[in-house]
Amino acid sequence: MSTAEVLAPLEPAGAPTPTRRRGPLSPLARYLLVRLALLVPMIWVLVTMVFVLMRVIGDPIQAALGGRLNAEQIAERKADAGLDRPILTQYWEYISGLFRGDFGTTLTDNRKVSDILVVNGAATLELAFWSLLVAFAVGVPLGRLAARYRDRVPDVLLRLFSILVYAAPVFFVGLLLKLAFTPFGWPSSGRASIATELTLQDVHPKTNIMIVDAILWGDPALIGDVLKHAMLPAIALGLLTGGVFLRLVRVNLLQTLRMDYVTAARARGISERRVMNKHAFRNALVPVVTVMGMQVALLLGGAILTETTFEWKGLGYQLSEYLIRRDFLAVQGIVTVIALIVGAMSFLIDVIVAFVDPRVRF
Amino acid sequence: MTHFRRGTALVAVSALAGVALAACGAGNNSGDSNSGAGIIVGTTDKVVSIDPAGSYDNGSLNVQTQVYQYLLNFPAGTTDLTPDAASKCEFATDDPTKYVCTIKPGLTFANGNELTASDVAFSFNRIVTINDPSGPASLLGAMKSVEATDDSTVTFTLNAPNDQTFPQVLVTSAGPIVDEETYPADKVLDDDAAVKANGFSGPYTIAKYSKNQLAEFKANPAYDGTYGKAKTKTVTMKYYAKPENLKLDIKNKDIDVAYRSLTPTDIADLEKTDGINVVTGAGGELRYITFNLETMPGDSPEQKLAIRKAMASSVDRADIAKQVYKDTFTPAYSMVPDGQAGATEAFKDTYGDAPDADAAKKFLDDAGVTAPVTIKLQYNPDHYGSSSGEEYAAIKRQLEASGLFKVDLQSTEWVTYSEEYNADAYPVFQLGWFPDFPDADNYLSPFLSPYDKEKSGNFTNSHYNDLDTEFADDEMTKLLDSERTDGDKASREATLGKIQERLADQVPYLPLLTGSQVAIGVDGIDGLDKTLDASFKFRFTSLSK
Repeated sequence: MSTAEVLAPLEPAGAPTPTRRRGPLSPLARYLLVRLALLVPMIWVLVTMVFVLMRVIGDPIQAALGGRLNAEQIAERKADAGLDRPILTQYWEYISGLFRGDFGTTLTDNRKVSDILVVNGAATLELAFWSLLVAFAVGVPLGRLAARYRDRVPDVLLRLFSILVYAAPVFFVGLLLKLAFTPFGWPSSGRASIATELTLQDVHPKTNIMIVDAILWGDPALIGDVLKHAMLPAIALGLLTGGVFLRLVRVNLLQTLRMDYVTAARARGISERRVMNKHAFRNALVPVVTVMGMQVALLLGGAILTETTFEWKGLGYQLSEYLIRRDFLAVQGIVTVIALIVGAMSFLIDVIVAFVDPRVRF
Repeated sequence: MTHFRRGTALVAVSALAGVALAACGAGNNSGDSNSGAGIIVGTTDKVVSIDPAGSYDNGSLNVQTQVYQYLLNFPAGTTDLTPDAASKCEFATDDPTKYVCTIKPGLTFANGNELTASDVAFSFNRIVTINDPSGPASLLGAMKSVEATDDSTVTFTLNAPNDQTFPQVLVTSAGPIVDEETYPADKVLDDDAAVKANGFSGPYTIAKYSKNQLAEFKANPAYDGTYGKAKTKTVTMKYYAKPENLKLDIKNKDIDVAYRSLTPTDIADLEKTDGINVVTGAGGELRYITFNLETMPGDSPEQKLAIRKAMASSVDRADIAKQVYKDTFTPAYSMVPDGQAGATEAFKDTYGDAPDADAAKKFLDDAGVTAPVTIKLQYNPDHYGSSSGEEYAAIKRQLEASGLFKVDLQSTEWVTYSEEYNADAYPVFQLGWFPDFPDADNYLSPFLSPYDKEKSGNFTNSHYNDLDTEFADDEMTKLLDSERTDGDKASREATLGKIQERLADQVPYLPLLTGSQVAIGVDGIDGLDKTLDASFKFRFTSLSK
């Protein structure tokens, strides 16, 4: 789907309906199957790229442990990690390992990458969720406001704001938030207070998603503590995407408001508020949902900096730690999972769009 | 559309409720919210592995110090070895290559398994067998073999008779005793499995553990060892990625203690904060310049020596300590820090304690060296703290101020740096040293011992005492052998003095600074001063509030 198609507002009701193709499957099912079929090669390309890149940058053992090992020990470690085998054998083991949920073992601290993914991946998902919430809370109403006051002072200010929050480095925004809020007792780092973290280690079943664990524990004080800790990192990361959403909502709303069916609605004497809410706003949101999928990659990239700034021990934090240590086997595992998440999100967004916008199914 | 508006309203209400709940919920940042966590210690040191076979770093040692027993150990405030899991250890009178330890009766691990001589022998053997690249096998180079001769006796066979450094090795990263029933003999046990196995017999056990995030330690009631009864039942360790977050949390009193590693500027700032106490202890960390004797400037060994001496006469250590490190480091006039038995100030005696441009010029003139000498000086910005850049900028300034040197200052990140200095890439370069045990030999042998192509025995690759070169030094080798195997304290210290004198005359290394240990505690925390001693062990058992 081209960007132009994505950004095109919905046709009004009563527009000529395209002829449906005949076939055993419904258009929606066919559409989803095609998307799913496209997802497989996309993920294959992604994981293959990760594999190739990790080999191109040099010998992982030498990079991580070179200063501490002699040639014989390096050879031994290579054999242990299977890096002395032919490249195609390594590739096969890597791909088949992914199907078994085996992402390898870190070189520098002997951890299973799958363990890191379970514990730290949950933290990143949680941060991404809070950030998307902030992005919507900021982007959608402000975009609407900007469209309403088109080319007037509020619109200009809001557009300036969207550029600023998009352009400002996320760690800088994070630092400003910390400086602004910690004097008022807001926590500067971590996913929860230490006592809360220790308490939630005993929760069953443990999801590692702090807010879910706190809800499962059932203590409002703990839930409040978790929310309080999530606030600043979610704002720091959410503003980045919020700026994009703001501009998207604004542009699409303005385009939609110029459509014939909106003019017709106004001509029928429907109030401006109702025109905006009932006829224009929902249609203007479709591209936002589509772009949201693309923003997940941006969020995960931003998470690396946000997590480090706020000691939010997620995948991004771990990735930066292992990058510093040159532990490329750990990096390979983590980046592979991030690639899988981005691929899965892309498919999920396609599904959502298919339900929201019937045109894509035909 | 009604649905949509309802949904929006629901999200808005939920968000508002969340904010309200967060704003008036737990965690008022007074520290109360963490009261269940006992004393909270924050650090930026990372744990590589709880299993002693898989780690040789400060972060891991800090955990191991709390949860494992050693044969011998240092009580708070002294560097005198006393029995821990052993009731006694001594060299066999009939064969001084044998070091024999008798294990206390009735010792158990927290999981209920007995701690016997067999566990001890197993612990040392597996370190050598596994030989993990991140592990401490290199510390056991003096050990030929170890065996449990009966249930309560362990016999170490050493490469050299009367090796005075070996008892000290028993207290290092190579010394923790593990449970042979729960630790594998041929591979490192991962942290979660180690916690679950509970094969700990130290003063604390680990109750909850999330690697490099949080660790909760509970006092071990069955502990019978050097440190005595823990003053605090629960100590929680919180791990930070960034020093600024550690600083913020101690400043806000969200944690009770900050131990390693804050910048000198942060420490100076915290000193002015109400309710915060900065405690310093014996210095052990060393910063020094290494000269690659083969590639450094100079056309002959005599010229090279003259250049090294001229540099030794041109640096102002006190200025660097004050301006860069805000006195958290102090000038070092020997490779052996002040406070260690046998330490001297040989460099101060030979070159003075302030820059002397005339003396430096004379060294160069006498050897026929034309000034200014171009020095390619290399440092790394990440491994020895964030102040390395300032430190080496100051050294460049000082050397060039004499008019005798032109310094080409370059930096390389540690991973590359550690490979390149070993490959003769840097003629003059920065290194640092954190001791394995508090003994003068540990500041000398690793730098001065003879070595060959394998480079075992000297990690700096300076070529000093490299057996294949003109820089081999038989006299130094004899002096080192003598002090290592000398059981008489006075004569050993005299030999150590001679070694340091010879070191100052030959200047293969230029000692610059010694770092004090620093811990920051909130008001009401006691015991930090008792644990920041010359043994370099941070003991939770000393802490109380």
